[in-house]
Amino acid sequence: MNPNTDALWYKDAIIYQVHVRTFHDSNGDGIGDFLGLEQKLDYLQELGTNALWLMPFFPSPLRDDGYDIADYDSVHPSYGTLDDFRKVLDSAHKRGIRVIIEMVLNHTSDQHPWFQEARSSQNNPRRDWYVWSDTDTRYKGTRIIFLDTEKSNWAWDPDSKSFYWHRFFNHQPDLNWDNPAVREQMWNVMKFWLEMGVDGFRLDAVPYLVEREGTNCENLPETHTIIKDLRRRLDEHFPGRMLLAEANQWPADLRPYFGNSDEFHMAFHFPLMPRMFMGLKLEDRKPITEILQQTPEIPPSCQWSLFLRNHDELTLEMVTDLERDYMYDMYAQNKTMRLNLGIRRRLAPLLNNDRRRIELMTSMLMSLPGTPIIYYGDEIGMGDNISLGDRNGVRTPMQWTGGWNAGFSTADPERLYAPLIHDPVYGYPAVNVVSQRESEHSLFHWTQRIIEVRKSTAVFGRGSIEFLYPANHRILAYLRRLGSETVLIVNNLSSAAQAVELDLRPHKGNVLIEMFGKNLFPRVGELPYLLTLGPYQSYWFRMRRV
Amino acid sequence: MEDGTFLTDDFLRQLINVGEVDILVGLPTHNNARTIGSIVQTIRSGILRSFPRERAVIINADGGSRDGTPDLVRAVAIDDARPASNLYALRTLHVIGTKYANAPHNGVALRTILAAAELLRAKACIVVSPEFESIQPDSISNLLHPVYNEGFDLVSPTYRRHKFDGLLMTNLLYPMIRALYGIRIRESYMTEFGFSGRVGSQFLGQNNWSDSVGENGVELRFTLAAISGGFRICQSFLGEKEHVERRAADLVPTLRQTVGVLFSALESGFDIWSPVSGSQPVPTIGSDPDVLLDPLRVNRKRLREMFTTGVNELESVFQSILSPSTLTELHAIDALGEEEFRYPAQLWVKTVYEFAAAYRKSVINRDHIIQALAPLFRGRVFTFLVENRNGSANDVANNIEALCLEFERLKPYLLEIWKSKQ
Repeated sequence: MNPNTDALWYKDAIIYQVHVRTFHDSNGDGIGDFLGLEQKLDYLQELGTNALWLMPFFPSPLRDDGYDIADYDSVHPSYGTLDDFRKVLDSAHKRGIRVIIEMVLNHTSDQHPWFQEARSSQNNPRRDWYVWSDTDTRYKGTRIIFLDTEKSNWAWDPDSKSFYWHRFFNHQPDLNWDNPAVREQMWNVMKFWLEMGVDGFRLDAVPYLVEREGTNCENLPETHTIIKDLRRRLDEHFPGRMLLAEANQWPADLRPYFGNSDEFHMAFHFPLMPRMFMGLKLEDRKPITEILQQTPEIPPSCQWSLFLRNHDELTLEMVTDLERDYMYDMYAQNKTMRLNLGIRRRLAPLLNNDRRRIELMTSMLMSLPGTPIIYYGDEIGMGDNISLGDRNGVRTPMQWTGGWNAGFSTADPERLYAPLIHDPVYGYPAVNVVSQRESEHSLFHWTQRIIEVRKSTAVFGRGSIEFLYPANHRILAYLRRLGSETVLIVNNLSSAAQAVELDLRPHKGNVLIEMFGKNLFPRVGELPYLLTLGPYQSYWFRMRRV
Repeated sequence: MEDGTFLTDDFLRQLINVGEVDILVGLPTHNNARTIGSIVQTIRSGILRSFPRERAVIINADGGSRDGTPDLVRAVAIDDARPASNLYALRTLHVIGTKYANAPHNGVALRTILAAAELLRAKACIVVSPEFESIQPDSISNLLHPVYNEGFDLVSPTYRRHKFDGLLMTNLLYPMIRALYGIRIRESYMTEFGFSGRVGSQFLGQNNWSDSVGENGVELRFTLAAISGGFRICQSFLGEKEHVERRAADLVPTLRQTVGVLFSALESGFDIWSPVSGSQPVPTIGSDPDVLLDPLRVNRKRLREMFTTGVNELESVFQSILSPSTLTELHAIDALGEEEFRYPAQLWVKTVYEFAAAYRKSVINRDHIIQALAPLFRGRVFTFLVENRNGSANDVANNIEALCLEFERLKPYLLEIWKSKQ
């Protein structure tokens, strides 16, 4: 397989998610930038990642961390220039790293010139680029997403004396995708970046593109028509590029976004993520197997995208009330950790900095069907700062060294875009890349190793999954298969050692080869295959008939 | 079965797979297919409603059912291997079971449940009778909650019963245990109860399981062990308990499992009960015990006849057990016509206490002593039925309370005859 030419490259990708602002500051102004990012691409290569997902870097008032775009055809001056971005793109490609960028289709910033024109008068030619109303009573059946800040999906515009529609913050007016001019313009935006060489887009908030009275204004057929049109153009003009859907929906509602291989290539599996945390805390595989049982088959060329943590809160939208209460009580007893319907914390603090649990969760991330995404800093166990508002607590500067500003910037600390993590457990003197590079058993090196093992076979990115249901419910075991290759994964979700008997009779005659140490385990026979696992231990076995 | 190895390998394997639990529900069964389905559904509802986060297991100790009872129990398990189940639950609900014999035996069943509770380190456990058809989901919570959340070690049940149900309890066990141990537990011979892992383990370790006596009347033995061990005890209201028709022939075995167990326990527990005077109520969760007053057909004439037959035929036995004055009084009331016949509280208490002392001294074979109590108990029941025939719930409660006070008042008499050589 050649990842640079394979059209299904996203299936084998290990994606590293990063915000330019947070990664490395090359010019000493306290804000990460493209040239700083370029300097750190070796690090991503060293870690083993082969795709980079950049969060929004466009000109923006930054009232929603860049998801409020004011100009789609440029980069925010704080991060550098378009040429700087091109350098990142080229350097990444030279290292075999694909670059995925963010594309916010649903809405713009209210500072975008399009909206400024639209609100300037009811007769402006761009007026119909947004969704306006004389009343705030239309689309009553639509839920409010940002419950903590927004009371309505309509906001009053005093300039044009009417209401405009917004599914997110009130400073993010929704574009009117019923307007063909908007569709054309947004494709032109995508084309601009594709021609520059980006490998894919994460399309933000796709379920909300279209509004219709009498519906909940989510996942409407008209939205799928729009996506199909974008995909058709993409395949026609830019084959091998990829669309990743951000649609926080139940699996059955997500399935249509893959269409018949004619919509998205990939989509985040949102409901799985909280259930992995839930299964870990319950010490019970049921939440995980249940949601994966409910996950429909997707076309062969499509792929789920899996993650443990990202730049947002650990979303609890796709769980029941009982599950949400449980998650809050288990992972966010301190109410300041809660935001909207979620928990704004990083991976390591969520897991009490327990290395065994971090490894187990990462092991599942890397071995369940889908393409894994690593949120920057999680590979070294970075912490968060819940005293920062909104989701900024999980967006603090990357901790490169134990020295000045954690090696992130040479600026005065007061000028950093966000304060560094200083606490004794997660602070940069204790948690940083340099020190972990020097420690053979660091989380960084462990992550590097598991990525290497995952990349040693295509079975994880492309294979099928078959759950085993051993009577010990603390054990999550499954087979991944691709062609003649079979891999057995056994995860102990419990804090105590466990014994488990696996029914491997269909694989009688195979020996198991532990994939990290390459040691042989006994041959599979007629009897149940007995394994013992330490607390939170995970085994990856390759099956081989000898 | 040898001590320490009485669990089968298969059951042990099931326990290993379950692992540590918070909640354990023990379900002894034997050919209960008619009732068990709805009962286990109720148990599951109770767990899901009140303890959705806790690790729970239902353990079926089956005495060799041939009607598919274990399958019906297992059907309520919640796990991930049955994707068709649309039941919502946060976690797995395990249902495991073992067939311990080909005949029912409460002692073996409870021992199995206690051993499982200990191995699984269960924090709160309950045992539910497979015949408790009127059980409600709240009953499960009422039994578990005091243990799991409030630190009680034993939760004894109370019910809404017919005023003529549980007459052995109201006329002997409740008042006598209350008088002797100073604790007012209404239902000491429990078919449904809750307990902590702590008291379960202690009982499992201390009870003489290799002795068949140790396995008979195990429910009452468990209560007495909890009382004697100074564990925290409360009562919990479980709603209505159905009236169950009993055959006359059932009385002697029942007396063996209750009165026999109580008399036996008095011997070893003398230092505990002898200094106690008066009695204290135990905390009660939910409603107070309640009585149903609807008409119930009872053959009083037959009871009276059995009393008379017993008094006459067992004269020589009674001479060994009872004091002359008590025996004289018994003859006196036996001579009364049916309308006038009464077995007064004072005479009944003295009778019971003298039987207890005789049992301790083994004046005759102990089992014969227990058997000899049966006709006298029937005479007492006759009196209770007559006295409460038209009684309101309050009247019945007052009569039971009066009997209890009589047991307490005459406790010095028991101590006196307990120590005497005669």
